[in-house]
Formats: sequence, C-alpha cells, structure tokens
Amino acid sequence: MSNVLRTCRGFVLFFNRQSVKSVQRGFHSTESCLDKPPKVDVVSVDSFNNVQEKNKKTYLDMLRVYRMEKYRSGHVEFINTAIKHLDEFGVNEDLETYKKLIQVLPAGKFVPQNYIQSEFMHYPKHQQCIIDLLQKMEDNGVIPDWEVEDMLVKRFGPRGFPVRRYWRMMYWMPKFNNLSPWPIPKPAPNDPYELALLAIKRISSIDIESEVKVYKTKELEESIEDTWIVSGQSPDQKKIVANHPENVPVYIEGGFRIWLRKQSIIYFILRTEPSPAIENEEEDEDDISNFRVPFFDKPIPKISDKIAKKKTVHEQEDGTILAVAATGTSSKNSLLSWIRFLEKDGNPRLTHIPILFTSKSPLGNVEPLSELDESKKEVEQSKQKVPIE
Amino acid sequence: MQRVKMFTVVLFRNRFKGSFGVYPALTDWTRRRGVHTSATTLEFHEYDKRSGYDTGLEIADTRTERIRLGLKQLKKEIKLWKKEMQEVLISDPILDYRAGEVDVFWRFYEESSLDHWIVTSDSDHAEGFSKCDLKIGHQGYGLFHGNLCSRVPKDGRIQNSGYCNMMTKRVSKSFQRDSFLDWSPYTHLNLRLRGDGRSYLINIHVAGQFDIMWNDVFTFVLYTRGGPYWQTTRIPFSKFFFASKGRIQDKQAPLPLYRITNFGITVSDKADGPFQLEIDYIGAEIDPTHHEETAYEMYEIQQNYIIGT
Repeated sequence: MSNVLRTCRGFVLFFNRQSVKSVQRGFHSTESCLDKPPKVDVVSVDSFNNVQEKNKKTYLDMLRVYRMEKYRSGHVEFINTAIKHLDEFGVNEDLETYKKLIQVLPAGKFVPQNYIQSEFMHYPKHQQCIIDLLQKMEDNGVIPDWEVEDMLVKRFGPRGFPVRRYWRMMYWMPKFNNLSPWPIPKPAPNDPYELALLAIKRISSIDIESEVKVYKTKELEESIEDTWIVSGQSPDQKKIVANHPENVPVYIEGGFRIWLRKQSIIYFILRTEPSPAIENEEEDEDDISNFRVPFFDKPIPKISDKIAKKKTVHEQEDGTILAVAATGTSSKNSLLSWIRFLEKDGNPRLTHIPILFTSKSPLGNVEPLSELDESKKEVEQSKQKVPIE
Repeated sequence: MQRVKMFTVVLFRNRFKGSFGVYPALTDWTRRRGVHTSATTLEFHEYDKRSGYDTGLEIADTRTERIRLGLKQLKKEIKLWKKEMQEVLISDPILDYRAGEVDVFWRFYEESSLDHWIVTSDSDHAEGFSKCDLKIGHQGYGLFHGNLCSRVPKDGRIQNSGYCNMMTKRVSKSFQRDSFLDWSPYTHLNLRLRGDGRSYLINIHVAGQFDIMWNDVFTFVLYTRGGPYWQTTRIPFSKFFFASKGRIQDKQAPLPLYRITNFGITVSDKADGPFQLEIDYIGAEIDPTHHEETAYEMYEIQQNYIIGT
C-alpha cells in the first residue's frame, strides 16, 4: 500500500515540475521523496504522554478519540502504544479497558474466509497484537469473560489465534484464581494499615485461637508518637509468657518482610530462646549385658520419661515466638508502646522480664531499624522538597 | 507428540517472512535495507539442549589440557562405577513404603549439601537485574535468598524479566551417563520450609530424548505463609501441570514419576524486592488413599483446537 502511495507522490511531483524541467528528472524524483521525514504513526507515543490527568476516564477518552477519526488506520500501532501505557494510567487490572482496547479493531474485517486463511494466521500483525493484549491480561491476573469471546470471534472468526488463546486462559486462569490458602482481596489495598492487618492475620493463621488486636499509641500516656500497632497473640502464647522465667531475656526482633502479592510489610516478633528439646534416651534393644528375667528379678519401678507435654506451634527449634506485630512507623518507640500494650492486655509478667532489641535474628535476614528510619527520613525529605502549590 | 507450542506460531510467521519476502505489514524501509529487525528461525529443530544459553562448561582451551582433564575425570568415573557395581551386588532396595513416612531427598545441613544445586537468575545471562544466592543459614537450613527485579534491560530483545531459580544438577551415573530419579512409589511431594509470603514455583523436570521434549517440565505453585513459623507443605504429584519453555501445554498428561531429571524452585512473581525462602528438607511420601493420576481434564475436544494444539 505504501508503495502505491509513494509512486503516487512521485507522479504528483513529476506533474508539478513538468512545466519547468524535463520529463526524465521527474522519474528520479523518488530520491527527494526519501529525504522527507518518514510517515508519522497515527497515534504517536507522545499523545498518551501528553495527557495531563492519567486515570481510567482519560484513557478511555483517548480510545474514544481514536475511534472517532474518520479514516481509522494503524490499529495495531495504536493498540501496541496503548498497551504500553496501561500501568501508567492505572487501568492494568480493569477488564472494561481491555474490552475497549479489543473494540478498537473493527468487527468483521479480519475474519478469515477459508481454511487456508484461518490456519495460516490471517492478518498476522492484528492477531499477534491481540495475543499480546491477552498476554498482558494474563500477566495482570485479569480473567476475561464471555463477552470477550464474542468480541474476539467477531473480529478473528471462531478459529482465530486470539480466540484459541482466550480458551486456554479461560481453562487455566479460574483454576488458579482462588487456589492460595491465604487469599488476598482483589484489588489489594494500598493502605499500609489495611495491609498490616492482612499480614498479621495471615501470620497468625498458624494458630486458630490467635487474636489480632489494633492499638493506638495515643491511648498510652508515655508514648511519643501517634500511630497504630497491629498485634497478634494467642492464648497459648500468653501462657508461655506467664510461665517465662524472670532471668531469661525476651527479644524484639525485626523487621522481617512479608509479601502480600506485590506489596510488602515489615513486621516484628517477640521471641525467646527455644525451650529445651525433649531428650529421648536411646535404648539399645540388642544389648543383653544387663538382661533381666521378669520371673526371677524384682520388677523395675517403671518411671517413664517418654511422656512429655506436647509443644505448641509457637515453640519452634529456633525460638519460641511470643507475639507478632506491625506498626505504622516501624520505630523503636512504637515497639516499646507495643510491649506496654501487651503488658496491659493479659501479659503482666512482661514487666518483670528483661526485653532486648536486637538487630540480628536467627530467623533469617533482618532489615535493620536504623536503615528503615533513614529511608523513611529520605522519603519525608523528598516529600518536603516538592513545592506545594 | 502432537504438541505445538505457542511460540511456534511466531516461528511459523518468521519462516514465511524469510523465504517469500512478501509480508503484508513489512514496511518498505525494512525491505529496502534487507535487514531483519528480529531474529529469524528457519526450522523447529533445536541444536542445543540449553537453547543457546551460556553453559560455562568450557573449562579448557587447548586439546592437551582437555585430555589431561579428561584423564583426571576418568579416575573419578571409575571410582563411581565401582561403587555402582557394589550397589548392584549388595542389592538393597526399599521393600516397604509406609504411609505418612517422608523419604527425604534433599536436606540442607552442611556446605556439601549445596553441591547438588545450581542457582541461576536472569542477570547471569544479561537478561535482567535479579540477584540470588543459596547458602546455609544461621540455624543450619538452606536459605535461598536474593533480590528480585523485573526491570527489563533495554536491548530491544527481551520483553520480560525477573526470575531467580534453584535447580538440582542432572542425575547421572558413572561416565556421565544420563540417569533418572524414580519417584513412582510416592504420591505426594513434602517440603518443610519458611517463606516470606510470596508464591514460588516448583518445577519437576522430565527432559526426554528428543529436542521437543528437552524442556518438558511439570510445575505447581508453592504458596508460603510468611512470618516466623515453619510450614510443611504436601502437594500431590497429580496436581502438577505440564509446561514447556514457560508455556502451559494444551495436552496435559500425568507426571511420569519414574523418569525425573531435575527438581527446581523458581521465584518470578513480579514483586520487586528482596525474597527469602528457608528450606529444611525436600522429600516425598505415599498416601495410599490418593488415587488421582492427574487433576486436569483428559478428554479430547473436537471443535476448538486445530492442528496439534
């Protein structure tokens, strides 16, 4: 097509110049055609960048503007450009937007008319472009619905490659959608407080009796900050605290990181040294040096050491976990307030037990408090630098 | 072997682009220059088991050095062969697989237990910026940790990025003959681990003889709770689904447990940031009440799928 256009342009030039120059020169004018800037795409990259407010409404407006054009051309280029800006406009998890993107292609134009066409990818660029779009949907976890099937069938026929990809997606994606034993709402909350609640509930799911409580540091008289604390503790853990010896210290460790889909939250634990392992004295059954005959010897008073109290889930081999928490500021002060709240809330023994802050933990990598504070300061500073208008 | 992969569609198109030169959407500019803007593949055949990725196995440059190293290796191989022969003569197979008893295949307790594993990430092939490491942690557990980054390097070729992977070495007998793990008596995979809330992927590789089967892998998701508590995960082998080169295949099949070549764990959940997965052991167990072969539908669909798919 572009070939035809170019020749036409050549002829136009040729006719224009005919009056002055010779005919021969007219035919060589294709050279000057090349010097011209290449044809600009219908929708350049800039048109999406130039949008002032980037949200779903403006994104759909962009699609509408394109569809209103008299001579719609360059569908593929437009869709490919639009796909790149999905994340930026915050519409990457929105099914309606994907549907509108598919509707940019006209229905009925690319439907193959025979088997050869349908098997050898009729309009390959168009099909590939929609396959990429479906891939994007899959990556962002958007499950299509039956309306999408209708749209694809109208555009590429019942044997189109995007339709086949759609079927695959509809087979597999619902299978994995609700598979996780610790589901996260969709869309996931952005608020750190909501996330902390989710995270602590998830961690506490190990013990069904666990209670997740929210404390406000304002309620404490001696607290410096004003923030929230999400704390998780079970009755079993309270019992362990109540029976904890006074000379053995308890550690506040953290922050550890827990991921909730694409966001992470820092949490802290109250941990103490592991309780001594139950020792099983191995008896050699083949040893007959001390063989006793039950008929002649006195019976041995059977004092069994095999029976022991079953350990709770909180008593692990690398430490006993007494409580879990996430705070709004992840600062030392807020953690101190957490301990005060725990003392008031059924753990009076904690007032007598020495409590230590540690920056190292046997339970994996720790993100040090000071670093967290520094990074927060940086964030705050950068916020301050931005002039408020 | 009626499997046509998703990417073959792309290959097929490239084929036409190369031989006929008429391709509706090819611009004039490209044709005039005679430049291929993308790599062309003219056939489906693959020459390399690693699909062209750097192996890092070319240890010797000269032939003499290679011979010297080969002779050194020969000593080790003969020792291995001797051991194998002894085992054949002793012949001490497991006679009884008891329900609920976990047979541990890999446990992480000392540095030498890391010898079975290969750790790779996209930055190793200059295809991304993720970094990872497998080591023995403070408490003597395997610690697979690193930093996941899904930023795509701007080389115009790579579209997706961000993975870290740990995988066992290929099982082999003496003289570097390929061998297989036989897990056919078991029904469940059993792992004890402590994750960070991410979902990981468990890959059981069943690489076959021919090039189309080199990348066969059975995969399932490993969800981790996160937090300070250990978790024991039991996954039935029947749940594993069949994939190849990162694409789920249309024709599913039960996992051939008698010919497993590698076992691996991947993290690539697009959440940028540090990750850590502590592993105590990886094992398997038998549950006599579990009769499912595969959890996925095995019936044929007449209309929907065309040529091999």
